[in-house]
Amino acid sequence: MTSVRSSAGETALAYPMTLVTSDGERLEFDCASDRNVLEAAAAAGAMLPASCRQGTCGSCCASIDDGEFELGTYSELALPQGRRESGHVLLCRTYPRGRLSGTLPYSGSKILYGAIPVREAVITSMETVARETVRLELSLEPDEETGLDCQFDPGQFVELQVPGHDAKRAYSLANTGNWEGRLEFFIRLRPGGLFSTYLQDHARIGERIIVHGPQGAFGLHETGLRPRWFVAGGTGLAPLLSMVRHMAEWQEPQPALLVLGVNEDQDAFGLSELEAVATELPGFSYETCVWRPGSPKQEPATPVDRVTAHLATATVKPDIYVCGPPPMVEALAQVAAAGGVTSEHFFCERFLPS
Amino acid sequence: MFCYQCEQTDRTGAVLGCAGPVGNCGKDETTSDLQDLLIHAVKGIAQYAAKARALDAPDDEAATFILYATFTTLTNVNFNPTRFSGLLKEAMAVRDRVKAGYEEASLARGLQPEPPRGPASWAPAEDLDGLMKQAADVRVDAGIDVVGPDIVGLRSLYLYSVKGICAYAYHAHALGHHSAEVFAGVENAMAWLASEPSDAEELLGNVIGGLGELNLKVTELLDAANTGTYGAQQPTAVRVTPVAGKAILVSGHDLYDLHAVLEQTKDTGINVYTNGELLPAHAYPLLKAYPHLVGNYGGAWHDQQQDFAAFPGPILMTSNCIIEPHISYRRRIFTAGPVGWPGVRHIANGDFSPLIQAAKALPGFKEDEPEQLITVGFARDAVLAVSDKVVNAVRQGAIKHFFLIGGCDGPTPGRDYYQELALAAPKDTVVLTLGCAKYRFNKHDFGEIGGIPRLLDLGQCNDSYSAIKIVTALAEAFDCEINDLPLTLVLSWTEQKANAVLLTLLALGVRNISLGPTLPAYLTPALVNTLVERFELRTIGDVAGDLAAALEGARP
Repeated sequence: MTSVRSSAGETALAYPMTLVTSDGERLEFDCASDRNVLEAAAAAGAMLPASCRQGTCGSCCASIDDGEFELGTYSELALPQGRRESGHVLLCRTYPRGRLSGTLPYSGSKILYGAIPVREAVITSMETVARETVRLELSLEPDEETGLDCQFDPGQFVELQVPGHDAKRAYSLANTGNWEGRLEFFIRLRPGGLFSTYLQDHARIGERIIVHGPQGAFGLHETGLRPRWFVAGGTGLAPLLSMVRHMAEWQEPQPALLVLGVNEDQDAFGLSELEAVATELPGFSYETCVWRPGSPKQEPATPVDRVTAHLATATVKPDIYVCGPPPMVEALAQVAAAGGVTSEHFFCERFLPS
Repeated sequence: MFCYQCEQTDRTGAVLGCAGPVGNCGKDETTSDLQDLLIHAVKGIAQYAAKARALDAPDDEAATFILYATFTTLTNVNFNPTRFSGLLKEAMAVRDRVKAGYEEASLARGLQPEPPRGPASWAPAEDLDGLMKQAADVRVDAGIDVVGPDIVGLRSLYLYSVKGICAYAYHAHALGHHSAEVFAGVENAMAWLASEPSDAEELLGNVIGGLGELNLKVTELLDAANTGTYGAQQPTAVRVTPVAGKAILVSGHDLYDLHAVLEQTKDTGINVYTNGELLPAHAYPLLKAYPHLVGNYGGAWHDQQQDFAAFPGPILMTSNCIIEPHISYRRRIFTAGPVGWPGVRHIANGDFSPLIQAAKALPGFKEDEPEQLITVGFARDAVLAVSDKVVNAVRQGAIKHFFLIGGCDGPTPGRDYYQELALAAPKDTVVLTLGCAKYRFNKHDFGEIGGIPRLLDLGQCNDSYSAIKIVTALAEAFDCEINDLPLTLVLSWTEQKANAVLLTLLALGVRNISLGPTLPAYLTPALVNTLVERFELRTIGDVAGDLAAALEGARP
C-alpha cells in the first residue's frame, strides 16, 4: 500500500459532484469532505461499480476532470502512477476539497440504483481443476421477487460471504446469465486466504452461501465488428470465459481470440470449456501459453509475447480485454498502446489477492 | 451525427436536429452514422435492383433486404452498432449479387450494362474509424450548401416516408404477403433518391403522388396479410388488468412474432400479455382463440420504462418502439426482427425458448387484479357491417360529427391535446382512433349512441388502410367527398410511418388534416407554407377553438 496523503479534512463541508458516464448520463450529488465519492454516490442512491472499496482492486477507477480533492491510501497496483498522473483516481479513496467533475469509464446501465441484490445460494459442485484452482458452482435459491432469475453481464462479479463471517470476497462469474440460478467460478486458493480456507476446510455440497451482486463494470463493449482479443492470466480467465461464452450463446459476429497464460503446465484449466466455445462460435480461437513449461521441447511464452506478435500482423486493430495480475495488465497496456490500440479499446480488470 | 427524422428531435439549437454524441431517442453517434451509411448502401442496391427488375430479372430477396435494412433505421428500432456493421457487410454482398444479376440480364438481352453512378459503386471502409469519416459525406443534409435547405427538407421527407413504407411492407412480408409492384416501388424510390433529385416540384410530386400512392398499396397489402392470416378483426373485450400466473409481455407491432410466442407457450401455463401497439391482436379470431392471451398490460411506448420494470416476467420487443431498457429489466427484455439494443438478447430464429425459460424462472403475477375491460377490434369489417346503422344515426342527427384521432403517442406535454380533444368531444360525436395515441383516453368510458360505441378503436397505426376504407365507405354512403364528411382528422406523429400515412391521405385528396404536436424539423418555413397552401394542412391549436371550428362545419 502506498500512502499518498491522509484522508478526510477536519471539517465536513459538502461539495457538489458531477460525474458523466461514457454514454452521457449525468450524476449529480453532494459529497461531504470526510466522505469518499463512492459513499456519497451510494447515499444519493447510485451504486457505482466497485469491489474492495479500500483502494486495492482498482474497479472504481475514474478520471477527475476538474476540482480539488485528496486521495486516501491506495495500492499502486490498483492505480499505477501513470494512470494517476493522467488524472485517474479511485473513487473509493477520493475525498473532495471543492466542486468536482469527472468522467466514468462505463455506461449508465452499469450503475445500480438501489441496494446491491443479496441472494442465498447452495453449493452444488466443487472440484479441483488445476493446481490450487477450484471450480465452484452455486445454485441460487428461488427468490420471491425474482424467482430463479440469474442474469448478469459477462465480466461482472459477485461477492461471496463466508458462512458465519461478515467478510465477503469478490469473484468473477465464469458462466453466462441464465434462468436456472446457476453461478460458476474459478477460484485460486491462496494460503491463509479467508475464502480459500473456507473452501478447503469447511465447505460442503449443499451448504448455503450469501451472494451479493452482480456488480462491476468490466464487460463487453459494442464497437462494431472490430475483432475482440481476450487475454487471461490464471483465474483471470473467469470473466473472459463468461464473455466468450456469451458471444457463443448470442452468436455475436466479431472474430475472437483468447490467450490464456499460466505459470506452469499444472496451472492450466478451462480448456474443455474453451474447446466447447470454439465448436459453437465461428471465428473463435484460443491458445494457451506457459511461462515455465515442463517439457524442454516447449518454448516458454507469456500472454505479452503472444499479443505483441499478433499485433504485429493484425490488419484491423482489435478491442483487447485483459484480466489477470496487475504486472501483466500493465505490460499488456503498454504493448497495446505501442501496437496502435488506443485506451478506448483496451479494457481491463486487475486480479488482486484478497 | 445529424438526425432529425422524428418528433423527438432536438429543437434547442439554431439548427433543428440531434447532432450531439447521443440523440434524443437514445441513439448514439456511432449508430446514427452507421444507419446513414446503411441507407446509402441500400440506395446502391436499389439502383441495381431497379435496373434488373426493369429487365424482368428481379431479385426479390434483395428487395426484402431493402425493406428489412431500412426498417432497422426507423426511430426507436435498432440501437446496436454491431448489428449495423454486420448489415453493412451484408448490404455489400447483396449489392454485388444484384449487380451481377443485372449485368447478366443485360448481356442476355444484348445490352451493354450501364453501371449507375453514386451509391451503387460505394464501398465501406475497413474499420469503424473509416466508416465514421465516410458517414460525414452521406448524412441526410449532405449537399445543403449547394441545393439549399428546402431541397434537403424535401429529400428528407421523401426518405423518411420511404422508411415508413418499408416498415409496413416488411410486416406484410413477414406474413408471406408481398408483391412485385411494392418491391418495384420501393426499389425505384430508393434508386431515384440516389440520383440526388434537386427539383422542388418534382420532389413534391413524387412525395405526394408517388409515395402516397405506394403507401396505399403497401398498407392494403398489410391489411390483406393481417386479415388473411388471422381473420378480420372483431369487436372484442380485452382485459387490461393482470391475472395470477407466470407471464410474458409482447410489445411492438409484429403479429407474426406474437403468434409464434402464443403457439410456443401453448399448454405451458404461461400467460401472454400484449403491450402498446399489439393491443389490436386481441381482436383477430385466430389470435384471440389462444386462451392464454389473457390481456393487455401498460400504456403507450413512452411508458415502457415504468411498465416493463413493474412487469414480473420477460418482455419481447418485436418492432419499433423500444427505448433504452432500464437496468431493472434490461436482462429480461428480448428483441426480435429488426429491433436491437446493445446488451439485450436478440432472438433471430423465431425460437422463443429463452423467453419461455425466463418466464418460468420469474415469479409472474401473484394474484388477480380486479377485472377491467376495454373494447377493441372496430376495423373496417366490423364498422362497415353496421354502416347502415351509422349512416342512419348521422341522418337522424344522433351522430353530429366524427373525430379520427390517430397516430403515435409520445412523452411531450403537447400531446395532452389529443386526450383533451377526445374527452371534450360532445356526446353526440364519435371518436375513431388508431395507433397508440389512444392510450391517453382508451380506458375512459365514452358511452354509446344508439348501440354504436362512441369510441371506436380501429387498430394499430399499421391499420391505416382500414381507416381509409371506413371513411371512403362513409363518403360513398353519403354520396360526397371525404372532405365533405362531418369528419375531423387529427394526426399525432412521432416517426416515419406517420409520414407515409399522411402522404397517402394527401394523395387521396384529403384536406384540412390537423397535425401535431409539432411539425417535422426538416420542413422549412417555405415547405410548410407550400403544404398549407396546397393541401390545407394545419397544426393543432387549442382544444376549445379547434373543437368549435370542427363542429361549426358539422352537418349530417
